[in-house]
Amino acid sequence: MVKILNDIRESITSIATGMGITFRHLGKKPVTQQYPDERWSMPDRFRGFVHNDVPRCTACLACAKDCPVDCIYIETIGKGKERQMSRYAIDYNKCIWCSLCTEHCPTDCITMSHDYDHAVYRRERLVYEFVDEPVVPFKPPKPEKKPKPAATPATSATDAAATPATDAAATPKPSDDGSES
Amino acid sequence: MDALREWLATTPMAQGMDPELLTGLAMLTFASLVLVGVALAAMIFIWCERKIAGYMQSRYGPMYTGRFHGWLQSIADGVKLLLKEDIWPANADKLLFRIGPLLVFTGAFLGYAVLPFSPTWVGANLDIGLLYAFAASSLVVTGVLAAGWGSNNKWSLFGAMRGAAQVVSYEIPLGLAVLPIVMSVGTLNLSQLIIAQQGYIWNWHVFNPIFFFAFFLYLISSLAEVNRLPFDLPETESELVSGYHTEYTGMKFAFFFLGEYADMFVVSAIAVTVFLGGWYTGIPAVDNFVHPAVVFIGKSVLLVMVQIWLRWTLPRLRVDQLMFVCWKVFIPATLGLVFLYGLSRVILR
Repeated sequence: MVKILNDIRESITSIATGMGITFRHLGKKPVTQQYPDERWSMPDRFRGFVHNDVPRCTACLACAKDCPVDCIYIETIGKGKERQMSRYAIDYNKCIWCSLCTEHCPTDCITMSHDYDHAVYRRERLVYEFVDEPVVPFKPPKPEKKPKPAATPATSATDAAATPATDAAATPKPSDDGSES
Repeated sequence: MDALREWLATTPMAQGMDPELLTGLAMLTFASLVLVGVALAAMIFIWCERKIAGYMQSRYGPMYTGRFHGWLQSIADGVKLLLKEDIWPANADKLLFRIGPLLVFTGAFLGYAVLPFSPTWVGANLDIGLLYAFAASSLVVTGVLAAGWGSNNKWSLFGAMRGAAQVVSYEIPLGLAVLPIVMSVGTLNLSQLIIAQQGYIWNWHVFNPIFFFAFFLYLISSLAEVNRLPFDLPETESELVSGYHTEYTGMKFAFFFLGEYADMFVVSAIAVTVFLGGWYTGIPAVDNFVHPAVVFIGKSVLLVMVQIWLRWTLPRLRVDQLMFVCWKVFIPATLGLVFLYGLSRVILR
């Protein structure tokens, strides 16, 4: 009998404590981050999807040559002054996010962006096309003739506002038959 | 009900109508009003429960549907359940499988007939209202049994058996806990039970020391009666998948859900009626300004929130603990209270 009474007392106090805790939590702000709407800001040196800023690209092929997995496809047409870049594509199926391509870019146009959520339904869609129709490659002005290797990929990566360009580039090329699943 | 009937009699439609027919019409109107109210209230309770659960666990709960804190979530869920395929398990007992959810909901819904929302808003002002309400709510267990047996699934059957054992056991302390009040007021009529608590707040039955313990025991037993969390052994998703409604989808499942929340409101409303002064605010001066139904429903909703609060605080009991609490603690305790109250009546006469 005494044991039962003790048990009752103990359980009532413990339930009251528990209810107090849950009640206090009711007023607290949740710790949830509303992911697609709110995101962590990535650290400066975060290596997201590689982004090529086409207007600054000289089509020098340095990045394609540096790439250890050969995931950058650059095609050019014409020679000399008529040289045009007809294709600049990155195959993210192969990309290993090593950031070597950004190291030797003469104009810092290829950078590691902070994007990371580019999930797709079909593998082909991970080949991102950056050039829709042939463009004249960027000619760096004379004074900057001897471009040093990019200072650090980190600094260049900070100011890469990559999203619009990649999105625009992402849509057209891959042979999608509309069925997404 | 009578007020509704009188109002119906004034409408042009009812002119020259047979009084019997008019009464039937009034009953039907009242029932459909309550049905709509119950369905709406259940939706709101579900949304509240999800939000409260979320905030208690430091998360938001539904946030997207309907822009503002997911307030349309329950409606979206309801539409989803309506459109869902109606799956029948292989070799299910067709009849039992079908009537299970209906019985559960009916059992919960029948209780609303006697709830005194206000002095005039009573479905049926029965003299044995309290008895009727308990009898109706124990109909739920037949539905649970039918569902569990008809599903042709061992987990469902386990859940149904536990549910039956639990509800049948806890009926006893539930009924015994209100007995001291019935002894004190001398009626089972719910409206008169409330009128007995008229006046200032200390006239409410909870504030009587013996009745306070009765209230406490009633509250806990009622949790077991409606299979809410510290006692949700018929469901126990961690051991019995989902208990008696494992095999249910679509609208049949929705009826179980609706029944659960409707039942929560019924037991809370009875607690409010018997212990918490029903439609009285506790200050006679205020009573004139506030509509009694608002007070009554407000108190009941508060008690429902307490049930939700308890659910998200406490872990589940074991079956043997549940039975121990009922048979070895609650029944002797409630019997003791009845005895004690009888004794005090004799001595203090």
